[in-house]
Amino acid sequence: MANQTDYKKVLSSSPRITKVSFFGRVGAVIRQHFQQIFSSFTELWKTPFATLMTILVLGVALSLPSVFHVLYKNAERVSAQWDSASEISLFLKKDISEPRVQVLINKLSMYDDIDSVTYISRHQALEEFKEMSGFSKALNYLDENPLPAVLVVTPAKQAMNTAGSKLLVAKLKREQDIDLVRVDIDWIEKLQAILSLVVDIVIGIAILLLLSVLLIVSNTIRLNILNQRPEIEVMKLVGATNSFIQRPFLYVGAWYGLLGGTIAWLLTFSLVQWLQSGVMDLMGLYQVQFQISLMSFTESAIMIAVATFLGFSASYISVKQYLVRIEPK
Amino acid sequence: MILFEEVSKIYAGNYAALKEVDFHLKQGEMAFLTGHSGSGKSTLLKLISLMERPTTGRIVLNGNDISNIKGNDIPYLRRHIGMIFQDHRLLMNRSVLENVGLPLLIEGYSRYEIKRRSLAALDKVGLSGKEDFSPIHLSGGEQQRVGIARAIINQPPLLLADEPTGNLDPKLSLEILSLFESLNEFGMSVLIATHDLGLIAKMRYRTLTLKDGVMINDGLMRERNG
Repeated sequence: MANQTDYKKVLSSSPRITKVSFFGRVGAVIRQHFQQIFSSFTELWKTPFATLMTILVLGVALSLPSVFHVLYKNAERVSAQWDSASEISLFLKKDISEPRVQVLINKLSMYDDIDSVTYISRHQALEEFKEMSGFSKALNYLDENPLPAVLVVTPAKQAMNTAGSKLLVAKLKREQDIDLVRVDIDWIEKLQAILSLVVDIVIGIAILLLLSVLLIVSNTIRLNILNQRPEIEVMKLVGATNSFIQRPFLYVGAWYGLLGGTIAWLLTFSLVQWLQSGVMDLMGLYQVQFQISLMSFTESAIMIAVATFLGFSASYISVKQYLVRIEPK
Repeated sequence: MILFEEVSKIYAGNYAALKEVDFHLKQGEMAFLTGHSGSGKSTLLKLISLMERPTTGRIVLNGNDISNIKGNDIPYLRRHIGMIFQDHRLLMNRSVLENVGLPLLIEGYSRYEIKRRSLAALDKVGLSGKEDFSPIHLSGGEQQRVGIARAIINQPPLLLADEPTGNLDPKLSLEILSLFESLNEFGMSVLIATHDLGLIAKMRYRTLTLKDGVMINDGLMRERNG
């Protein structure tokens, strides 16, 4: 009686002259991987136009999220610059005496979240107003100086964000000698709300675009598989395993991702460089020194790695869906 | 080498391509499988090469039951069966050398070894000097020889041929069959499916005859002639 199915026995008992050892097989698998990595790259360029089109489509699709990312990163930097320039004006009560002002200044200077306090007396305030407004003569007719003394507070670094500023303002409002605390953080909050909305939109668009990349590569690989159906059947007939047959397709997917990611990086770089001078001119109008920051090395590497992984994954989906179904007839 | 025990294959629609077929092909034996179109010859070969599974019965290859072999093990088993087809099944976008070396490439042999053995196999089938040709530029007989070279390159213990002379003239058919004979002399078991009775009569080997999926005769042509 014959034994139960044991292909290893079939192999070991066959009269084949040459057998491959364990180490030989491991070496063969490594060799096959390298051969297939390079041959899949060569395979791409057998249809150069179609390959170039696919890679460009992937590059454009991937460049949009990366450009948005760079723009968002720079917008955050800009808002941070304006944020840090914010000052808090404390309008003091009119009847406060000079010694009490000095006590208040000393007290505020000891706050951890205050960097510096500048005192503008009522008299200085009036003189400045006269100068700036051009109503100096008219102001001379006033019986009394209507302006209060002002303390201009520059927050310390840790309080230079919206949350820190809010805490500091709340603390300052509790001071009895201060009549009014004025800080212009509303626009920063609005800017941050807009940026947050932009982030949500960008994430949404990025997900859609990445999905489209997945579908493009997946469909391209599907067509490749269907075009090579006779070849796949022959390979299976002469003993190729599914993993041997699917590897070139997986590598082609990864190559698409890698090349698409590289194109996306180049497009992002070029676009941001192109925007550089315009942005600098705009910032110059606001007297802000600003240079657009490009993607860092890590960000670039992550982007290209993600693109490669996407290509590989898309290919894997197609391979699992279509290739394993092909059987020789 | 091959043992069929009451093997039946029933396709969808209750069509029985093979009905309780029994036969035994010994190691190193050469035999013909004959019958009219639709008699079940190709189905029988497909069962041996695991392109199909039997509905009932048992198939034993080299002492091991392959009736319920796992899908993942099939490629490894196929590496021990050389298969030759009427339509050659060559890859037209690859050279003759690449076609012949395909089984070795799959098994992970080095480029040098693949080339060395492919050239030797081509020499054996009389196609030396044609290694860089595209199969498209070869005649039908030459294409069949490339198919044979591919089938024997990894020295399988069993060679299956499905109508290998179907598209060839009588002279070329005899040449191809002589090639099978020489391979058989080296110890390779050979099973050739053909409906060319004239050819079978000339070769005088054991002949398995199928009719409507039933094995109606299993004997030596010489005996029957006698």
